[in-house]
Amino acid sequence: MAQLYTIRYTAENHYDHPVVEASWQFLIVPQENETQSLVRIDFSNSRNARWEFSQNGFGFITIRVRNRHELSDISFEAAFELIKEEVNPFAFDLSEVPPYNPENLQDMGFRLEHQMFLKPTPLTRLPEDTGCFRFDHGRNCLENLADLNTWVYKALKYTPGLTGVDTPLTEVLEIRQGVCQDFSHLFIGIARAHGIPARYVSGYLHQGMGYAGDAQMHAWAEALVPGLGWCGFDPTNNLMAASDHIKVAHGRDYADCAPIKGVVFGKGDNRSNHQVQVTSQQ
Amino acid sequence: MSGDNTTIFTSYDRNPKLYDELYDPDGKVTKVYKKLFKLYGKHSIADYYELNNKAKASFFNQGITFRVYSEEKTNEKIFPFDLFPRIIGAAEWEHIESGVKQRCLALNKFLWDLYHDREILRDGVVPLELVTTSENYLDQMIGVDPPGGIYTHISGTDIIRHNDGKFYVLEDNIRCPSGVSYVLSNRTALKRALFGVFNHYNAHTVTNYAENLLELLETVKPAGVDIPTTVVLTPGMYNSAFYEHSYLAKTMGVELVEGRDLFVENDFVYMKTIAGPEKVDIIYRRIDDAFLDPLEFRKDSSLGVPGLFAAYKKGNVTIANAPGTGVADDKAVYTYMPDIIRYYLDEEPILNNVKTYHCSRKDELEYVLEHIRELVVKPVDEAGGYGISIGNTLTDEQVEQVRKDLRASPRKYVAQPILSLSVHPTYIEESQSFEQRHIDLRTFTVMGPEKSFVLKGGLTRVALRKGNLIVNSSQGGGSKDTWVLKK
Repeated sequence: MAQLYTIRYTAENHYDHPVVEASWQFLIVPQENETQSLVRIDFSNSRNARWEFSQNGFGFITIRVRNRHELSDISFEAAFELIKEEVNPFAFDLSEVPPYNPENLQDMGFRLEHQMFLKPTPLTRLPEDTGCFRFDHGRNCLENLADLNTWVYKALKYTPGLTGVDTPLTEVLEIRQGVCQDFSHLFIGIARAHGIPARYVSGYLHQGMGYAGDAQMHAWAEALVPGLGWCGFDPTNNLMAASDHIKVAHGRDYADCAPIKGVVFGKGDNRSNHQVQVTSQQ
Repeated sequence: MSGDNTTIFTSYDRNPKLYDELYDPDGKVTKVYKKLFKLYGKHSIADYYELNNKAKASFFNQGITFRVYSEEKTNEKIFPFDLFPRIIGAAEWEHIESGVKQRCLALNKFLWDLYHDREILRDGVVPLELVTTSENYLDQMIGVDPPGGIYTHISGTDIIRHNDGKFYVLEDNIRCPSGVSYVLSNRTALKRALFGVFNHYNAHTVTNYAENLLELLETVKPAGVDIPTTVVLTPGMYNSAFYEHSYLAKTMGVELVEGRDLFVENDFVYMKTIAGPEKVDIIYRRIDDAFLDPLEFRKDSSLGVPGLFAAYKKGNVTIANAPGTGVADDKAVYTYMPDIIRYYLDEEPILNNVKTYHCSRKDELEYVLEHIRELVVKPVDEAGGYGISIGNTLTDEQVEQVRKDLRASPRKYVAQPILSLSVHPTYIEESQSFEQRHIDLRTFTVMGPEKSFVLKGGLTRVALRKGNLIVNSSQGGGSKDTWVLKK
């Protein structure tokens, strides 16, 4: 059954020294796709700065704000209403999924089409010889990816505050702790190393189910399962992405999906706070 | 004036092993240089000393300087200019020009393919890894059609003459190649110092570069624009080529801007002017891809314009050269140029490529490791002559270091046999005489959808230290006015 979601996103930015000219870009608007349709978009900011819709380099909707007057704080508020169709991640015919065969994944056309999601990036590059998860040739791709999802879930302990948005996997694997970005990057890095195209997904997770990742934007991964297409895996929660996962954008890693990017001309430090709230009505 | 016809060349020490541009293999002055040789011979060394100082002062006064980047502090330097011009005959130039045009055409088709159907990769002519491991391949450009289908609006092709007398291309520079302003100021300086010599030769002008550049840029204006506004986007006055950026803006009659002078609204680009915002349609950028737009690429870039890439993707502004062009300006791609030319144009390459070893290939890496002393080892992605090791000049420790670097990151390096660049008589201040110095040639090509323009001239760079093979200005090279003769 379809659900109506209301998503609220707020961000507050404080600057130690007043900034004169500044731009911000938000990648927070839910994607419209087979299971998601937007009913309403509201956006405002405390300074009445000019804003407009645009697109990022991969075609996802952005909101770009430009301010031309001196300020030392600004807050942004967005609200979205969205209808999400029920997603059953297990509604497929397992017999359609071929067994995992790395040779089939070497096909030139396949690698060319998906090179963007096959190559390692600074955030998804695996350190050498870490004893990470290895695909089992006796099981098919989907089973292997599900096993990988569980392996990542168990390999890291969910601990906010230890890693940042640009922590590489070498560090994450040393401390074996992290947040949803790190879980997703690790999943993506291992899938790609096995020749499976995998991409980083940024979005919202419906709260109230006790999942990790509330009150912030969430991240998970999509992997291309031969025979099935792109499937969502949430290694932070050891789940397949389903009706509670509201997708905003995907990219090669976090750097392509940062919910807020700011360019300010000014000196000194700044503090930024954001909050997310997702509520649903059936 | 000295009456002795041979004064300044009597002590010229001609090494017969080197290819001297002035002499034919029998030791006679070549046809194109004959008159000049005679004219210059009328001057004494003392005259030269004086003229050379005048020319230097003129460069200082015009502010024609560049910066050298090193670990120590950076310095403004004048680009040493040599009063003895380099002359290229009409037939020889025709060969160079057609070869350069051919390469630029092939490179542009290559880039279109890499960001669209990628047939060349599918057909295995160029390995897929070359693209997927290149930091300059922009995934954001996949499927984007640059206005007019042009990626490489401006190219600088580096050519040398080997001691076999043939021309070889060393590099195709398609990421904001610099140097064209020196071509023009060298001509001006030589005219000031020795105007008379021009009366004896029928050389092509070089002052038409800016008008051709602007004209061709305007042919790739965004759709729907009637009279386009063009700007030159510079990283600012601390950039090594700032003089050139300002020179080009001035001679094209367009504004020179920094990123902070521009802004994006409704996915259009505007320039801040005292009369209010003015829409910008064509940006000749002299900043790297990574710095173009901090919202899309490097977020710490203060040189770019927030939202610029979104405006570009929408087709509202032309960026020259197109973002992502750098993937083809890679020394590893260079090695496939003969195949790339055959693949897209079904023609044989007009200009030679230098045999290149890819250290990413195991067997070639082994060869390079064993023959370092006979090879030049270059990083694939550095410009300006930085990071080059010339095998026969290295100490044992340096050879070991190069081996270590190669083993650590083989994909980062290519190696080529040590070529013997041709030499040209060059006035040397220290010895106050003419001596042989190695030279190369950078040509400048501007390409539009209908036609392309190769500047009839170019930058002849001179390695001022005796025996030195690296001619880049950042490595202490000088330059010569370069004449291309009319038929």
